[in-house]
Amino acid sequence: MTVITPSLKWGLIGLAAIVLSLAQAGLFQQDLFNLNGAPLLWKFIVASVHPDFSPELLQTTFNATLTTLAYAVCGTFFSLILGIIGGVLTSEVWWLSFGQPSRFWLLIRGFLAVPRAIHELIWGLFFVNIWGLDPLTAIVAIAIPFGAITAKVFSEILDETPRQPLLILLNSGFSPLTAFFYSLLPQAFLNLLSYTFYRFECSIRSAAVLGIIGAGGLGYEIFLSLQSLRYEQLWTFFYALFILNGLVDLSSAWLRRQLGCSSRLDLNLQQTKKKQAPKDIVRRRYFLLLPVSLALLALCFWVINPDFSKLWAPRTQQLLGQFVRSALPPDFSEVPRLIPQAIETVSMSVLAIAFSAFGGLLLAFPAANNFFLPGGLLNSNPGKSANLLPQIMLLLSRAILLMCRAIPAPIWALVVLFVMFPGILPGAIALGLHNLGILGRLMAEVIENQDQRPLEALKAQGTPNSLIFLYGVLPLTMPRFVAYSLYRWEVCMRETVIVGLVGAGGLGRSLTEQLSSFDYRSLIVTLGGFLMLTFLVDWVSATARRSLR
Amino acid sequence: MDLPAPVFELKHVSQQFGQFSALTDISLQIYPGERVALVGSSGAGKSTLLQLLNGTLRSTQGEVWAMGRNLSQLSSKRLRQIQQQIGTIYQQLHLVDNLRVIHNVNAGQLGRWSFLKALTSLIVPLETETAIKALSQVGIAEKVYERTDRLSGGQQQRVAIARVLVQNPIVILADEPIASLDPELSREVMDLLRNLAQQTHRTLIVSLHDVDFARSHCDRIIGLRQGKVLFDAAPHQVSSDLIADLYRLESHR
Repeated sequence: MTVITPSLKWGLIGLAAIVLSLAQAGLFQQDLFNLNGAPLLWKFIVASVHPDFSPELLQTTFNATLTTLAYAVCGTFFSLILGIIGGVLTSEVWWLSFGQPSRFWLLIRGFLAVPRAIHELIWGLFFVNIWGLDPLTAIVAIAIPFGAITAKVFSEILDETPRQPLLILLNSGFSPLTAFFYSLLPQAFLNLLSYTFYRFECSIRSAAVLGIIGAGGLGYEIFLSLQSLRYEQLWTFFYALFILNGLVDLSSAWLRRQLGCSSRLDLNLQQTKKKQAPKDIVRRRYFLLLPVSLALLALCFWVINPDFSKLWAPRTQQLLGQFVRSALPPDFSEVPRLIPQAIETVSMSVLAIAFSAFGGLLLAFPAANNFFLPGGLLNSNPGKSANLLPQIMLLLSRAILLMCRAIPAPIWALVVLFVMFPGILPGAIALGLHNLGILGRLMAEVIENQDQRPLEALKAQGTPNSLIFLYGVLPLTMPRFVAYSLYRWEVCMRETVIVGLVGAGGLGRSLTEQLSSFDYRSLIVTLGGFLMLTFLVDWVSATARRSLR
Repeated sequence: MDLPAPVFELKHVSQQFGQFSALTDISLQIYPGERVALVGSSGAGKSTLLQLLNGTLRSTQGEVWAMGRNLSQLSSKRLRQIQQQIGTIYQQLHLVDNLRVIHNVNAGQLGRWSFLKALTSLIVPLETETAIKALSQVGIAEKVYERTDRLSGGQQQRVAIARVLVQNPIVILADEPIASLDPELSREVMDLLRNLAQQTHRTLIVSLHDVDFARSHCDRIIGLRQGKVLFDAAPHQVSSDLIADLYRLESHR
């Protein structure tokens, strides 16, 4: 009677993957903890209560914050342009409206998977070799992978938008371009905009990471203070990063609420007919959006003043040509060394996502605003609001989530390395901590957007809270949690590179070593291996998500 | 005539949602075994009244008594004990649709189950005979291990009724149980509800849009208009003038 359901099957596969990865990480045989570093960790933690607020440092912090923000804004701007062009060109519906049912778009879509699979940091290291530490490096390093991701998501949004209105216009003789602009784009606009906001939040985090390769901004300052053990300064920069991230997340959430799109990243998991009617959409601030973002964009370009002429300078072409010549033919001699590293990389990503999914799940419930708060579903004393505990839990869990996601993964790795020996486990913990902050927030949003009616039905028949959770909340939210975790696993896989940079092992370390020693012939091979691994992980994740739907 | 103690008693109950008053000064009693229809247009306060009766809402003014208890003065544990005696059937939207049917039906007896038992049952379904019996009463016993969202709207409505059967309450409340069903299914569901109430002498309170079903399946009709009781009478006393009056309201608002 008890059949092996897809969820049971994938659950067992996931569990096996985690156990194997733990074994791979050496959990059962090696010395993992280096307690000699504990005093240093303590010093680091103590510094959090007395950060350095001297006027000079505050000035530095302000400039660095502005730089990070500017990288993110400019990077998002260019990735948006690339994403719109790429998204339209790789959507099925675009080629359809030109009456070409060829599979050409699939080819471009496949081609875009390559820049997407390579992390911003690798792009950054690559362009540093060409342009040096110009702001242009940071912007392009964000714009290329993010442009490709945006293109993919935009094409999917366009393809999932109902086509009937477009076909009507086409059939009544409009030109395809006009028809496109009058039907599909306005229909899909809110989803596109919502995704753009989410991309911007990601850009802020990437801009901080890019600082670590020397591109400047908060990430750079944090890295420097951490290396020179100046923890008071470090915490000042941390607080600036929290504020920046918090403000961006808040304003993005506020804007999306104003525009009436509630979820920042809709994985289109359930095509249900049961969506609750949208709450009345307030559109009166719509018109402010354009001038405000244009002003912000202008300010950011002015702040960092990138040297765009480098893009088409003869020297750039010369260096690129040199790169291509020195990268060919590929050097396959390193392949035997790559295989164990590839396994390490996958283990690291599995452990990281397991850690962050678990932590995110624990923190998501207190962080959601409709559960334990007065009037919330699982609050046991309706009417009485004397108990402040839920509010404190809400603020605390949200603060932890913000802290986790605001601090870049390589910085977490350096902190973890205070008390652990280098290896894939500290790398996984660092990645896990960073992604926990992102996943926990996405999960809290799932909980807040959950249809309350099935839960109210359970409550009305006198079900205790723990059982409402078991029979209502958990089954209703779990599919989305799992889908987000699987999606985030793909991201973790790409991010293994950035903790490899600080010695956490895996393919990431080889990549960064080969990049900095100009060993391009091996680099090409490592990169190829990494791409294959990324595609494999994406495929497994997509298969799992489809069968768990 | 000596009446038994009422199942429900409302004493000057008003319900406000912000500025909007959904119910104003309602007083009524409902006795064991009655089959009561609540009729009125959308927004007349039918759902609000049902939510007050099953303890989901607490009235802003007045007192709601259920089975001799004042609902607003109970601890949450006592309230849950009363709520276990009140089964509510909503439209099918209130099922946990990615669970299998068996779990949605078993959810009816969660009030009596321990946490451990409930957890075990999610992995290896327990008390399957009770669930299957309830499902065969509503005619879909073969769907017991299907995923709930794979069923049709009418079948999901039956799952909701089977859940209440398993709960085995003293009172059944139904909030527009036939609003999204076709006439054929509507009749079947209403017959089912009437038979359930008659056979076991349960009290039934059902909100309806369709006055004909109220006349044919209930023995008392309460007409609500703009949060007030317009009439409260036996079916044969409810004239078509009264009904017309009930639905005429929106024009002069």
